[in-house]
Amino acid sequence: MNAFQLAPFLLIFPAIGVLFNGLVGRRFVEADAKSGEKWSGWFASTMAILAFIVAAMLFFSLRSNEFHAEAVKMFDWFNIPSANFYIPWTIQVDTLSVAMMLVVTGVGSLIHIYAIGYMHGDPDFSRFFAYLNLFLFFMLILVSGSTYLMLFVGWEGVGLCSYLLIGFWFDRIDEQGKAMNADAGRKAFIANRVGDLAMILAMILLFWAFKSLEFGQVFGSAIEMFEKGEGVHLFGMEMSIGAVTTAVTALFLMGAAGKSAQIPLYVWLPDAMAGPTPVSALIHAATMVTSGIYLMVRSNVLLEIARESGNLVFGLVSSPDLIALTGALTALVAGLIAFTQFDIKKVLAYSTVSQLGFMVAAAGMGAYVAAMFHLIAHAFFKALLFLSAGSVIHGMEHGHHHVHEHDHGDDLHGVPEGDKHHEVEKFDPQDMRTMGGLRDKMPTTYVVYMIGALALSGIVPLAGFWSKDEILAHGSQNNQVVYWMLVVAAFFTAFYMGRQLKMVFFDKPRHAAAEHASESSPLMTRPLIALATLSVLGGLLNLPFLSESIKEANHGHPGGIWLGLEGWLEHSVQAFHLSEEGLIHLPHTPVVLSLPVAGASTVLAVLALALAFFVVYGKRPKTADERDPLQSTPIWWFSILPFEWFYMHTFVPGFKWLARWSADTIDWAFWHDFVHNNLIRDVFRGFANFASDVLDANGVDGLVNGSGRFTRYVGSIIRKTQSGYARNYALGVFLGTVILLAYFIFSY
Amino acid sequence: MLTLVTFFPVLGAIILLSLKAIKKESDLLVKQLAVGFSAVTFVLSLGLLFQFDKSLGGLQLVDKADWIPSWNISYYLGIDGLSILMVLLTTFISMLAILSSWSAIKEQVKQYYVFMLLLEAGMLGVFLAQDLFLFYIFWEFTLIPMYFLIGIWGGQERIYASIKFFLYTMAGSLLMLLAILYMGITNETFSLPALIAGRSAFADVQNWLFVGFAIAFAIKVPIFPFHSWLPDAHTQAPTAGSIILAGVLLKMGTYGFLRFNLPLFPEASVHYAPTIAVLAIIGIIYGAIVSFPQKDVKKLVAYSSISHLGFVMLGIFSLTEAGLQGAILQGVNHGLSTGALFFLVGVIYEQRHTRMMSDFGGLWKAMPIFAVLSLIVTLSSMGLPGLNGFVGEFTILLGSMGSHALGDHAWIYTAFATTGVILAAVYLLWMYQNVFMGPLDKEENKKLRDMNGRELTIMLAFLLFIFWIGIAPAAYFALMDSTVAKMVADIVSAGALAMP
Repeated sequence: MNAFQLAPFLLIFPAIGVLFNGLVGRRFVEADAKSGEKWSGWFASTMAILAFIVAAMLFFSLRSNEFHAEAVKMFDWFNIPSANFYIPWTIQVDTLSVAMMLVVTGVGSLIHIYAIGYMHGDPDFSRFFAYLNLFLFFMLILVSGSTYLMLFVGWEGVGLCSYLLIGFWFDRIDEQGKAMNADAGRKAFIANRVGDLAMILAMILLFWAFKSLEFGQVFGSAIEMFEKGEGVHLFGMEMSIGAVTTAVTALFLMGAAGKSAQIPLYVWLPDAMAGPTPVSALIHAATMVTSGIYLMVRSNVLLEIARESGNLVFGLVSSPDLIALTGALTALVAGLIAFTQFDIKKVLAYSTVSQLGFMVAAAGMGAYVAAMFHLIAHAFFKALLFLSAGSVIHGMEHGHHHVHEHDHGDDLHGVPEGDKHHEVEKFDPQDMRTMGGLRDKMPTTYVVYMIGALALSGIVPLAGFWSKDEILAHGSQNNQVVYWMLVVAAFFTAFYMGRQLKMVFFDKPRHAAAEHASESSPLMTRPLIALATLSVLGGLLNLPFLSESIKEANHGHPGGIWLGLEGWLEHSVQAFHLSEEGLIHLPHTPVVLSLPVAGASTVLAVLALALAFFVVYGKRPKTADERDPLQSTPIWWFSILPFEWFYMHTFVPGFKWLARWSADTIDWAFWHDFVHNNLIRDVFRGFANFASDVLDANGVDGLVNGSGRFTRYVGSIIRKTQSGYARNYALGVFLGTVILLAYFIFSY
Repeated sequence: MLTLVTFFPVLGAIILLSLKAIKKESDLLVKQLAVGFSAVTFVLSLGLLFQFDKSLGGLQLVDKADWIPSWNISYYLGIDGLSILMVLLTTFISMLAILSSWSAIKEQVKQYYVFMLLLEAGMLGVFLAQDLFLFYIFWEFTLIPMYFLIGIWGGQERIYASIKFFLYTMAGSLLMLLAILYMGITNETFSLPALIAGRSAFADVQNWLFVGFAIAFAIKVPIFPFHSWLPDAHTQAPTAGSIILAGVLLKMGTYGFLRFNLPLFPEASVHYAPTIAVLAIIGIIYGAIVSFPQKDVKKLVAYSSISHLGFVMLGIFSLTEAGLQGAILQGVNHGLSTGALFFLVGVIYEQRHTRMMSDFGGLWKAMPIFAVLSLIVTLSSMGLPGLNGFVGEFTILLGSMGSHALGDHAWIYTAFATTGVILAAVYLLWMYQNVFMGPLDKEENKKLRDMNGRELTIMLAFLLFIFWIGIAPAAYFALMDSTVAKMVADIVSAGALAMP
């Protein structure tokens, strides 16, 4: 079976969904809210599912094609023959892109369905689904493009969708009257654009070095030139391929720092939680934020050359090491910040930042398959956690409404209206301090949340255990610094998840809303169960011993029905190293279950969970306003980490001041008013006066009189122009021009 | 054919003027005729596409006749890859600008449309003239209708703005006139191809001549620091005036550099390239920074033009095939996205009679279609890939990094210019949020009507090209590739630019 030519439908289906919900969806919802929501939501979901089916067909086509990549060209985009700049819109179907397509459309479909339940009753229901489909469209462009430039279209496009969806409730304001959702969206877009600056520079550099932006051609000529030891002539000097790839991958790191929320640009992601929860799950956990990791894995050839060449960034560290260290540091720091959060979604947000750090670190260490494995597993369990958190929030809101309605009955007993409204506004359904005891109120949500949390913490045999362990195993072999940072980060992960589980689901309810919380509808819980299943079984994707034994059974070649992620990705992600004979292509670093590493990390995870569960939060908090036990420890300092502070207190006001000063003082007061209106005009006037004075001095009246008369004369003209029509005056200028022109022509 | 395209709007203007004699005059008839004439001009200019051979690098469809033989002045029109997109842009933008004035202009309707049509003819002449004297006459002629459009139908301070616009541009052109006369007298011809062929006659003073032309064009573009007339003219002009000003008139400046400075003075162009590129980059950053705190939406868009045109100038003086083509296309893109932005500001101004951001907020809730279309145009202006702005910007940046004219540190120019990408997001998203997001809390804004059919038609016309150029620009590059390649080859063969 060969379905490669169907690849464009991957993009066409979501595009149809955007058009449907963008153009007519609203009318359906307005005509009849109930059936309209069904139309709007299910139409979008169907498009996502159809895209998933296309992705699955591409998966099988690849298998029957013996994993050979196919490029499906749609039409030309850029074509400048004289500059040798040619970029078509081409879909690249290879094992890496198909793996991403399956994740994006698979998890995406589940989240679409969940959102039908979650967004129920929202007046902008259809707008939401138009955005979701638009997001799928751009995300699929991102993962399926065959050139860096097409990847970049998706890259910015998903950024746009992120902006729109974070600001979905753009009319909401906080106590200070600021449009916080709109602000958060803008912050995300601008932070991403900082990364995009690096992406643009990296692409241009790649083009001038390799005269192409197509993945295959760039990698092919990079390897070839590297093997031959050739350089490129750029900027008046000879640059080695190692230097070029080092610069490009360092710039990619900056781009990934924006999109995948790494230090120092991660600050936008926690704020992004202002968007609806399905968005947090789909975009800000499972798919979009992993784009940076996809970029790294896709550019594995460039990373490997940068590593082999021994070129250093700023003479300090090779760019893959820089990437690994950045990832590890992010994993560590974000894990710590997660300790200090009370918002259920913000804990998960920082956790996402931290887990993305794991993946970036893996990519930096050259463990591309491990990075992808963790990406996929993380997509399962983090989407699960976010959607379950959404279910919890829904339940809490429900409980709060219940209480609120109940209170209305008590109004007669003389509770001041104003006070209560104040209370109503203060209630935050996402604050974990107001939760507690939800285990009994929301049993399904509790079970799936537990699975997600344990998978994230790395407990055997859930998905997160296998994927995280593979990264740690690579670390222990390749980079001890990164390894230890990640081990500590994994310990933190289990700790903050233990804290969250305890605060949300155990003990007694600490608020009336939690007491009256209720389970969400099946439309929401069924996708949760599906994701929970995936989180349990996700490890099968790349079980260490399984894929090894299959390989052995196939005489070293992966094959059969089940080939494991490693065997699958082997066809897109190459590994090699430079030796005296030139470049040697390697089989993949075999995935080994390093028992000491796995054992140690499991013990640590269990310890951390227990520490959080039984020791630190064993008996606390009892009430909603009780202080967190860690609040008096130095850990709390991380909640006000200097990055956010630096941006918000120095950079942003600094820019605003500079902009105001440039606009008001430099451009307007000085340049516009002073130089033009005063200096130039007055000098001109002075000249005109002088000329008239000299002329007048020839007359009888003399200098003083003359200037007086001139002034009167000018005044009378000005009076005329001001009382008369503007066009009379304009006509004068026109005639003057004509006369001048005629003078020029005829004086020759 | 070119003569027909150029003077067809003049015919329209004459008919409008003599309308009283032919038929009973009414404002409606005037409008219909004006729209009709501009539409036919657009169709005629589309006809040029069929006759245009894009594989040729030189002038085509030439109309040539002696005009003032005693001074060697000829009537000489011609078109090539540099001008064809500009001609199409002119007829397209003029048509939409005229259509957009339908309900905005209520006084002295006939005069207004006469000036619009004359302006269109003048601009077409600028882009088609191949005789320097003829070019100068068209160049100066465009000032007159624009002067009246701002001065009569403009805002509160229209007189000040129109005089400043007129004097500033006029003063800048005088040096160009001197340069033209000098070349015309030394070479005994004003024909551009003949002057390019005989440029050795003035090669020793070419730095002076270059400056003479450059100042005239720099004011028009405007290149920092010659931009002081722009915010006044843009904010005071009526909507259609702003659309044409941003859409076409500024491109006359960038076109001038391409048409005259590069081929006539190649050594001087290479010599001054770093200077102009630095000014262009200052313009990109300065324009973007100054846009941010503006309170008047129109003024914000006006300042953003300085930033966008900085990209165009950088592309031109990269003197690379990619940079030059990106620059021409970005000229078109800026005309589309900024023209559309001015139009959208006009739509809301007609209803609310204010352009202050503080008077708006939450408009999305009141005018969803208007909000979505504005979003697309804003994103196009921001350079979102998939829309037109990105195509131009990226090609320019690509060209600038590979530039030999900018020396061994070309990448530094590119790196600084690329910061414009961040800054554009800062000021445009800020504007968008202030106008469309936040709560819809002002009573006046709750009653706003969404776009009507005519406004939608105009916007869809803009959007068609915004998407088309964004997704499939290959056809546009194909129109100019041969001409630009020949131009760069000429500069290289002139020995001005060392190629490794």
